[in-house]
Amino acid sequence: MPADGDLKPSQAPPEAPGKPGLSDPEQWVELHGDYLFKYALMRLRDPAKAEDAVQETFLAALKGGKTFAGRSAEKSWLVGVLKNKIYDHYRKAGRETSFTDLEFYRDEESDRFVPDGLLKDGWIHELGPSEWSSPGASLDSEVFWKTFRDCSDKLPKNVAAVFNLREVDGIESKEVCALLQISESNLWVMLHRARMALRRCLDNNWFGKQA
Amino acid sequence: MNLLNKVKDGMIAVLGMLMPSCREALRLQSDALERPLPPARRPGLWLHLLLCKWCRNYGKQIRFLRHAAHEHPDELTQATPQRLSPEARERIRQKIRASQE
Repeated sequence: MPADGDLKPSQAPPEAPGKPGLSDPEQWVELHGDYLFKYALMRLRDPAKAEDAVQETFLAALKGGKTFAGRSAEKSWLVGVLKNKIYDHYRKAGRETSFTDLEFYRDEESDRFVPDGLLKDGWIHELGPSEWSSPGASLDSEVFWKTFRDCSDKLPKNVAAVFNLREVDGIESKEVCALLQISESNLWVMLHRARMALRRCLDNNWFGKQA
Repeated sequence: MNLLNKVKDGMIAVLGMLMPSCREALRLQSDALERPLPPARRPGLWLHLLLCKWCRNYGKQIRFLRHAAHEHPDELTQATPQRLSPEARERIRQKIRASQE
């Protein structure tokens, strides 16, 4: 059976919540399922957990029973519900395990620094970051985002979680620390590692490969 | 001549104390995105960046990462071919149906 296009309009009862703008919950899977799944997948890194989070989101939303003035309002509302599910997951993970990823404390760029002598910890000549040509133009490229997404998937789970919360969702440092139960200095180290690894990955797989 | 060398060595030593290494300059530039740097670290970093194009590039690039991720969360989040599996779709649809009854 094809995953899409099986909306079966005949059996969708238009009575449902009856208010304008709110779509029939039976269509939520088609309308919002993939979007929410990808949202959860990037943040939870586990397809089974992401599926569960999407399911819980829809069920919680049904109970909430709100109405909206359009599809996009409905989508942002569902994202809000899903976000809370994901944060609950992080909170739980922060309580149960140490969120700080010690294994990743190894310095990603170590091999590019002079190991000793007068110039110790300076870039090895020619291995320092060269300029990225018109990075802004990359923002319009689907392949760029695919590359960025792949690079982010290569980060250790906890480091990626920190980067996503702070840089993608734009949550303030202090709130990220409270959510994950880590100290600010741990947060700073993890963000530094995330930025370093992502920068290098994009340099290798995108900017370094252009012209 | 000897004196000149001593002065030179002295200046290098002072600059060395004042100026962070490249490795430290990366960390400081990342931290600067999170909090104001301690005033004692600012002149050294400033001087380092004045002299080191590589670390300047690094700083620009991590700020670009922040801008890109923050201004385009959907492009990043949705840039994966993975989708909800047909089985999960069916299962979720059934749950929704059941909870409406």
